[in-house]
Amino acid sequence: MITITRAPPYLTVQDAGRRHSRVFGVPRGGAMDLFALEALNSIVGNAPDDAALEWALSGGSMEFEADSVFAIGGARARATLAGGDVPPFTTVYAAAGSELEIEQITDARFLYIAFAGGIDVPVVLGSRSTYLPGRFGGFQGRMLGRGDSLPLGQQPSTIPAPGFTCPAELLPAYTSSVVRVTAGSHADLFDDAAWRAFTETDFVVSHASDRTGYKLQGQAVSHGLGSLPSDPGCQGAIQIPSEGTPIVLMADAPTVGGYPKIAVVSKTDMPILAQRSPGASVRFELITIEQSQRALARRASDQKTIRSLGAASA
Amino acid sequence: MSLSRLRAQPLGDSALTIAFGTEKSAELLKRVHAAAFAVSAAALPEVEDVVTAYLSLGVFYDSGKTFYAEMAARVLAVCERASIAEPAPDAARTHEIPVTYDGPDLQDVAAFLGLSTEDVIGRHLARTYSVDLIGFVPGWAYLSELDPTLRLPRRDQPRPRVPAGSVAIAGAQTGVYPLVTPGGWHIIGHTDTVMFDPARDPPAILHPGDKVQFVRAR
Repeated sequence: MITITRAPPYLTVQDAGRRHSRVFGVPRGGAMDLFALEALNSIVGNAPDDAALEWALSGGSMEFEADSVFAIGGARARATLAGGDVPPFTTVYAAAGSELEIEQITDARFLYIAFAGGIDVPVVLGSRSTYLPGRFGGFQGRMLGRGDSLPLGQQPSTIPAPGFTCPAELLPAYTSSVVRVTAGSHADLFDDAAWRAFTETDFVVSHASDRTGYKLQGQAVSHGLGSLPSDPGCQGAIQIPSEGTPIVLMADAPTVGGYPKIAVVSKTDMPILAQRSPGASVRFELITIEQSQRALARRASDQKTIRSLGAASA
Repeated sequence: MSLSRLRAQPLGDSALTIAFGTEKSAELLKRVHAAAFAVSAAALPEVEDVVTAYLSLGVFYDSGKTFYAEMAARVLAVCERASIAEPAPDAARTHEIPVTYDGPDLQDVAAFLGLSTEDVIGRHLARTYSVDLIGFVPGWAYLSELDPTLRLPRRDQPRPRVPAGSVAIAGAQTGVYPLVTPGGWHIIGHTDTVMFDPARDPPAILHPGDKVQFVRAR
């Protein structure tokens, strides 16, 4: 069990999301940075899609009721456990009664904290992820606050040794502003000028950005398409409303939408985009579907490497 | 009607769409629903979810298990075999939804349309509607087709918070708000039927292709 002793303005339980409920209009949801979720789960010996904390906007703290193992990563943060520094993507053993303090998020956006055994909240529609607009999943369908206690699952039989760290070369290029995309379902309805604006200029992540979508500011990606009959949407789909301002659909992407889609962010690079703070720049690079799927296969193999390095350290 | 060729397209690296045509029609929508049913029934191990829309269906798949070209070929083959001649068993389902016509917009809607409120209610009750599309929020069903004399544009000012169970109309469609959400449709009544409950299996009452008959609540 862990208890939140000081909560940031945004704190939810997330896992890898709902894979089989889009037919009911339920978004996939899940962690905004799926790389961090999966890697941190490996670093504490969990299954890749176990539930963890998704934390943003400021510092806070929590107390461990029993001896526990945890790891933090994703956004960069200054964190301490019983006074000692907590490095990112590293296995940390915490004694019963000790307090983990996240002093400050110093760069990027979403910090993840995974615990050996995972966060054991009820499974709703195949997932423990919080879906705030629907008020379901996670901890009572809501954000966590001070005094909330979360049960942890049974610790796995094999846990990486204290101090095990994910090699830096296996992490995504979190500081890069380049985000790879593949052509979207309406790609051929956009003319050359629109494509030039889209791929040859920088965009800035606006403050109007949340788990549902990131609005981008920059050169208008003009088109005369208006809105189209609603068609399937997905995480990473880049919609262009008539005023030409791209909106990238994020973790809680609706299952259908009516704006023209110029491109879709490669799943491999969604963590990079998700971690871009308001004001940070983004540049899109068009690649083929084959390249995108090869990148995804490489990422999967990196995750396997992290898992086996961790297991070998145990 | 001649059937246009189906076209597969990637929707990112973990989903694809099958486009059935370029013009919305009830016939085309039936083909989309029949194909979605066939894809679900085929239970391809890589397929995670099937989402239908007006002109296309979306298939979400595990890209760790297969590549786009292979997945697209297999889904296309299933869709091409599916035809409107073999109706999906689901498609026959008709749901009766009791409505109390006490919505905050009922008077204004009647005044705008030059009808009495009883006329509005009678014409809303007179038709059986089809579920065109599920989406926007969990459990929201776009229902067609509203009586032509009841059609009006959406409200100028969407409401920030529409109560769950609100029965509303806009354009050629009607629907029931399944959750508390913002909304711009005209609310003419409410139902106590719970349209979406994440703890239920299945969580949503309505599926694409289902029929809905509103009845007056007593």
